[in-house]
Amino acid sequence: MTKKKKPVAAARAKTITTAPAKRTTSVGDGADAQQQLVASRVRAGLFALFTLLSLAITNGSAGVEGKFAFWVDKIGGTDVSFSVPVILLWAAVTVGFGAMAALQFVRGASFRWRLAIGLISPFLVFALLARLLDGTTANLTVFFTSTLLYAIPVGIGALAGIVSERSGILNISVEGKLLFGAMIGSIASSITGIAITGPIAGAIFGALVSLFFAWLGIRYKVDQIIAGTVINIGALGVTTFAYLRILQPYSEFNRPIGITPIQIPLLSDIPILGPILFSLSPFFYIAVGLVLFFTYMIYRTRWGLRLRAAGEQPNAAGTVGIDVVKLRYRAMLIAGLLAGFAGSYISLSGTGGFGINTSAGQGFIALAAVIFGAWNPVYAFGAALIFGMTSAATTLLSGLGVTIPPQILLSMPYIVTIIVVAGLIGRVRAPASAGRPYDQG
Amino acid sequence: MRLELQKITKQFPGVLANDRISISVDKGQVLGLLGENGAGKTTLMNILSGLYRPDSGKILIDGKERIFRDPAQAIDAGIGMVHQHFMLVPVFDVTESVVLGNEPTKGPLGSFDRATARAQVVELSKKHGLHVDPDAKIESLPVGVRQRVEILKALYRKSDILVLDEPSAVLTPQETEELFEIIRGLAKGGTSVIFITHKLNEVIAVADKITVLRRGAVAGETTPKKATAAKLAEMMVGREVQLTVSRSKSKVAEPILQVKGLNVLNDAGGLAVNSATFEVRSGEILAVAGVQGNGQTELVEALTGLRLVDSGTVVLEKKPLHAGSPREIAMAGVAHIPEDRNRDGMVKGMTIAENYILNTYHLPQYSKNGLLNRKAIAAATEQAVKDFDVRTPSINTDIASLSGGNQQKVIVAREFSRNVRLVIAAQPTRGLDVGSIEYIHRRIVEQRDAGAAVLIVSTELDEVLALGDRVAVMYEGRIVGILDAKEATRERVGLLMGGITK
Repeated sequence: MTKKKKPVAAARAKTITTAPAKRTTSVGDGADAQQQLVASRVRAGLFALFTLLSLAITNGSAGVEGKFAFWVDKIGGTDVSFSVPVILLWAAVTVGFGAMAALQFVRGASFRWRLAIGLISPFLVFALLARLLDGTTANLTVFFTSTLLYAIPVGIGALAGIVSERSGILNISVEGKLLFGAMIGSIASSITGIAITGPIAGAIFGALVSLFFAWLGIRYKVDQIIAGTVINIGALGVTTFAYLRILQPYSEFNRPIGITPIQIPLLSDIPILGPILFSLSPFFYIAVGLVLFFTYMIYRTRWGLRLRAAGEQPNAAGTVGIDVVKLRYRAMLIAGLLAGFAGSYISLSGTGGFGINTSAGQGFIALAAVIFGAWNPVYAFGAALIFGMTSAATTLLSGLGVTIPPQILLSMPYIVTIIVVAGLIGRVRAPASAGRPYDQG
Repeated sequence: MRLELQKITKQFPGVLANDRISISVDKGQVLGLLGENGAGKTTLMNILSGLYRPDSGKILIDGKERIFRDPAQAIDAGIGMVHQHFMLVPVFDVTESVVLGNEPTKGPLGSFDRATARAQVVELSKKHGLHVDPDAKIESLPVGVRQRVEILKALYRKSDILVLDEPSAVLTPQETEELFEIIRGLAKGGTSVIFITHKLNEVIAVADKITVLRRGAVAGETTPKKATAAKLAEMMVGREVQLTVSRSKSKVAEPILQVKGLNVLNDAGGLAVNSATFEVRSGEILAVAGVQGNGQTELVEALTGLRLVDSGTVVLEKKPLHAGSPREIAMAGVAHIPEDRNRDGMVKGMTIAENYILNTYHLPQYSKNGLLNRKAIAAATEQAVKDFDVRTPSINTDIASLSGGNQQKVIVAREFSRNVRLVIAAQPTRGLDVGSIEYIHRRIVEQRDAGAAVLIVSTELDEVLALGDRVAVMYEGRIVGILDAKEATRERVGLLMGGITK
């Protein structure tokens, strides 16, 4: 890219009179390398800043005890508690951030910062919690399970975004599909009285909406952002109307058979870990399976190779005989199934069934996870977990009467996403043709 | 295999792109398909590769009629296309790019069998002498190597008929020579090759048979033995064409542009132009030769204000310009014909008139108080369109709908519409047809004769030698030599281009 010159003539003139300076060249093999280096320096700086911040907090935490508890066998059962001096937690976080800053600075672009953030996040959240609780006991079993559960709709929604964007369709309509999936899932389950019909109906309806969206974008080349926005707004309008006019007065249509958590034999008996990891909603295990499955499909199979080709350079795919249009429709069908399925979790996991705007922006957080996870399903799911943790922390704190405005924590995913999208802390590379209609010939 | 196209006709709204075109190529033969831009070559190839369906006419392979409904069917029939704009995925590696669409797989999920694919690519590239690293990312490869990947793609699909659309447009002379070697080798091995180009000496160098297209129809057929460049040019354009630029001796006067110790960085922060020192005088053309990517682009961008000067001075008639904005530089009398007209030369989607005033709209004759004077703009554009022979239905036509040659004429007209003291022309004739090249060259020489200094940057040695009163050669950011036209022989310049200064 050409760097545009800024009219700073006076300042420039000064530097120009200096003798031709020896330049350190060959920092990399192109603009990309340079950009990556800058980004890694910015990251190193940010980590260093966090180091200082946590050092300051460490200083001020002497004498405070962080008290945590776990339920051993099941939620609400016997519990075991322990306490840690908060100062110790913060010292650990400080060391962690310091190490990250140093490694990031030394290793440059090759430092796996996403992983590092993933590793330090739990400690940070702990330390933050302990500091904020200021001596009150927090039960972490609930905290962790709600983190994992929150990641279900966000993680599967992100998967839907990844599949469609890898094929070249910019899919901002995940939120709308979640809503539709939630409503249809609830209705289907209520009418049939069979639990499994809820997710299936949600997925099918999500697929229909997705195909409609694809039809607008592929056949009529409607701007995909606009089409997606129409679907999101339309979904909110339609489901709200349906709720007020149908589901509320005839509440028998909104009494779904909930999909209850399952106890995985043996594993769920493990003390402490069992209630957290192995007694969750079946949706969670399906989500993990889907993430692994699609990671394999995208990176290791012919389908994935073609999908990525269509999203990067559809002409390259088209000229070797791949039917790009058909491929994109199929990808959108899959994305719709996934998003609708994710939506059904929202209304079927709890007790209340469907409610107005029940997805509450989780579809947008899913898109944030797509970007944060660099269009990789595993990373995106990791991002969903981090976002889930912020949500769980908010719930925990407000439950214990600690009053910090929940909006601050809840806005974290978006703030992180904006920083990532701006390319400051790390270059993420979207599929090159996502959002561009395909023109053959 | 023998391929025959019979009376292919294709009508687009308003244009008869192909008018009963018949061509044929035998097994192991190289057919040179010559024609100007807009002669219908690309349409014909899109029909052959299954992207378009002809309105009428037949495609015969070994005497049997074939109908291609989509690219897959053309590939199955053994037709391999190497498109002018490469059809490669930048983030894929060579192996993935070659096998895409015909991937070896294993297992129930259709897992991509990378090991097999890689082995096939290695074997294929060995067999045909097309050296590429199977694990290299496409985006890291130079253009010449990318083209080899494209050819491998076609060979991987067992193409017996290889179609190359303007393959040399992006190549350096050396790479073009390598490509010719590859083509000859493939033909010897029994592959039929269709080589599409508008470059006369290329068809003479590589083809066994030449078919010339003009305005959508076959204008004639010949062989390289019988043909001369002049005769081919006449067939292609439809009239006699002057292939050499006629110009009087230059009347050199005082220096206009003086560049001293100029250092310019590339996007990666490396030194792209390394202490360049030269001057261009009134009434002369200084042609800068060099293999693409040796700092020419950055030099031009620095001189025209599009890129920061790191250090050094640029002076235009005593006025320092190294810290000037593009507008200041333009207003000081610099005309800039950019290297990439699509990116830096015009705004597609805007009309010819709007493009014509793109860098003068702020002048009082075109606007007052922020309002454009449409009448004055229209009048000036009408005049320019007439003067520069721009073929367009109207000055309010979207510039994107013009041919490349006519777009370039609009750009040249705009740049020459101001007071011109220095012309900076980067690859001014890239991708243009013979008629337009001739015209643009004449206009540039006119500026020189009127007393302007001219700096031409070109990777085409022919252009450099035809136009330069002096020839500067750039190699790895340095100006490794400046020769007078008399000393500037093909050999000497060629050696300098390779960095050999003796």
